[in-house]
Amino acid sequence: MSKLLRALVWALIAALGAFCLAGIALRRGESINSIWLVTAAVCTYLTGYRFYAAFIAAKVMALDNQRATPAERLRNGHDYEPTNKWIVFGHHFAAIAGPGPLVGPTLAAQFGYLPGTLWIIIGCVLGGAIQDFLILFCSIRRDGKSLGQMAREEIGRVGGGIALFTVLLIMVILLAVIGLVVVNALKGSPWGTFTIAATMPIAVLMGLYLRYWRPGKVLEISLIGFLLVVASIFAGEWVAHHALWGPLFTLGGMSLAVWLIVYGFSASALPVWLLLAPRDYLSTFVKLGVVLMLGAGVFVVRPELQMPAFTRFVDGTGPIFAGNIFPFCFITIACGAISGFHSLISSGTTPKMVAREGHVLPVGYGSMLLESFVAIMAMVAACALEPGVFFAVNSPAGIVGATPDAATATISGWGFPVTSSGMADLARHVGEQSLFYRTGGAPSLALGMAHIFSRISGNETVLRFWYHFAIMFEALFILTVIDAGTRVGRFMLQDFLGHIYKPLGRTSWMPSVLVTSGLIVAAWGYFLVQGVIDPLGGINSLWPLFGIANQLLAGIALCVGTTILIKMYGLRYAWITIAPLSWLLTVTYAAAWQKIFSPHPRIGFLAQAEQLKSALESGKVAAARVVETQTLIFNARLDAVVCGIFLVLVTAIVLDSVRVWIGILAGTRDRSSNEAPFVMTQLRAEEI
Amino acid sequence: MSFVRGLLAALRGIIAELSDESAYRRHLECHGRSHSGEEWRRFCEERHRRKYSQAKCC
Repeated sequence: MSKLLRALVWALIAALGAFCLAGIALRRGESINSIWLVTAAVCTYLTGYRFYAAFIAAKVMALDNQRATPAERLRNGHDYEPTNKWIVFGHHFAAIAGPGPLVGPTLAAQFGYLPGTLWIIIGCVLGGAIQDFLILFCSIRRDGKSLGQMAREEIGRVGGGIALFTVLLIMVILLAVIGLVVVNALKGSPWGTFTIAATMPIAVLMGLYLRYWRPGKVLEISLIGFLLVVASIFAGEWVAHHALWGPLFTLGGMSLAVWLIVYGFSASALPVWLLLAPRDYLSTFVKLGVVLMLGAGVFVVRPELQMPAFTRFVDGTGPIFAGNIFPFCFITIACGAISGFHSLISSGTTPKMVAREGHVLPVGYGSMLLESFVAIMAMVAACALEPGVFFAVNSPAGIVGATPDAATATISGWGFPVTSSGMADLARHVGEQSLFYRTGGAPSLALGMAHIFSRISGNETVLRFWYHFAIMFEALFILTVIDAGTRVGRFMLQDFLGHIYKPLGRTSWMPSVLVTSGLIVAAWGYFLVQGVIDPLGGINSLWPLFGIANQLLAGIALCVGTTILIKMYGLRYAWITIAPLSWLLTVTYAAAWQKIFSPHPRIGFLAQAEQLKSALESGKVAAARVVETQTLIFNARLDAVVCGIFLVLVTAIVLDSVRVWIGILAGTRDRSSNEAPFVMTQLRAEEI
Repeated sequence: MSFVRGLLAALRGIIAELSDESAYRRHLECHGRSHSGEEWRRFCEERHRRKYSQAKCC
């Protein structure tokens, strides 16, 4: 293609992206087709990749395909192995794709489709993808070192220590909040509960099959496992209507939370091959398959968005979570635009597999673009629902009223018409007893996905199958995150306790395994139970806490990236990371501050505690609810403390980094790089 | 046609990597051993220890 033609094609892509962005931003009062969002996103991603990321790759990172990567230099047949670019891409994407980009945009849809969509697209291109890209590059130039190691070497011991502590803290909050998403999705749903319960014996069967019957046949048993899971979805309908089994699998929030805690403990303490590994294989394949199906579904069905561009809840009075667009939309979207957790993957397994430096661009930047696109599809699925239905599913009883009639009256009063008979019909169609008060985002996302999938199959009667398929998909990989997270938390705790009493550090010593598993499960289980008993649905408190923690970790990654850029070029290219870092800090500080000190009880934890305390002291609380109210007061204060810890951590790492930057720029601090020395690659093209 | 072949090869590669089958093949090559149930279990011990000492992404 001639240079002129190429320029023309890129100009057209950029113009189409700008046109679609303007279209979705300016259109008001009429529904809009989802293809506008999809086109705006794809064109912006392509433009960002071709120009911004390529500029950074060429001018800032100076990626050099002649330079041997750690995968080649340290090749050991295990972790370090030069791997084909697209295989690393698929592996990296599978590792970074979690429940966050599905749940976050669904919750943020309460502001309307526009704020969340713009942040997902812009935040990813200028922030999230840059973070993943840069950390992957830095790790590759440092023998595949982890974020914590790089923070320690580039910033100092304080930075490294904070990074490790933050990971542990973020994991506790993350596991609690995603556990709450599962609990709220399965509450009062015998069909869903049976399907998810069935995945456990299926995983154990897979583990035994792989270990003893057909060792190494992972694909074979994954296919069998998938067929069994699909069979369990069909069996779930029969169970739900069975006189004996139906009530047995109809569980309340607290029972489900207890089961989840028991499950997390078992998964952490049992041998990894028995439950965790087979479930991980299954959930990875199901996750990738469903993401592809959803992408194809959105393109084929092209649903109209029923949600307006902005809802009345931009004023901060939203029923799902309270708070204004700034900062809460950004905190809520989290992983779909920028996720601190990705920096752990970008400095974990991926840098040890990249064969050529040039592959860092598609793997680091490209994978995050795809993750962001998943978030756009989740936004489309949520906004394709009638807004009245969306709010009826996602609003807690404490906000909209404890009966279906009260809830529909409240939601209709907001200008989003919905009727209790319509909701009952919908629940019947998807095989549920009720769809009210299912906070957490998973059921409304499942509804949106089920509508898209059932329209592809051209048969609306299969809606119930697709709804439960989507619930199974979400719960399956959320449970995998819970399994693995609890286990990793256990390892970190054992590592720490090993300094106090050596045997506690041994990962195979059963008393240590049991004690540390118990401690980690107790930590996230406490927050999970807190979310279950919260009259405002729990998501209102826990999701912002998770968002703040996640963005804080991204802040740490960007501090590391900025330090390395300043060491390389002084201030010349530091804006690449300082711009998203400044925005992230502004958002994190504003959100954390409001969550602690806002005078509105639905936003500020301390105000909430104060309101409950006043009610208690003035005798407005019934005697039977005194203990529960005291617990709620304690929980609100605890949340404020956790949020305060996040603020202190942000402040510490930023101040430490700024001190290092000033030192480097003033010449009082060593600016020498910790990069591994250049070694010429010996890899031939056909080897990768 | 070559594009489709390349795409299918990449998909096969991704699936083999995600299922640890590629890693197992590398393990056998690296140690000069042949496949057996005992060898697979040995590989899994090592592989899983490393794989599950890292958190899953949110």
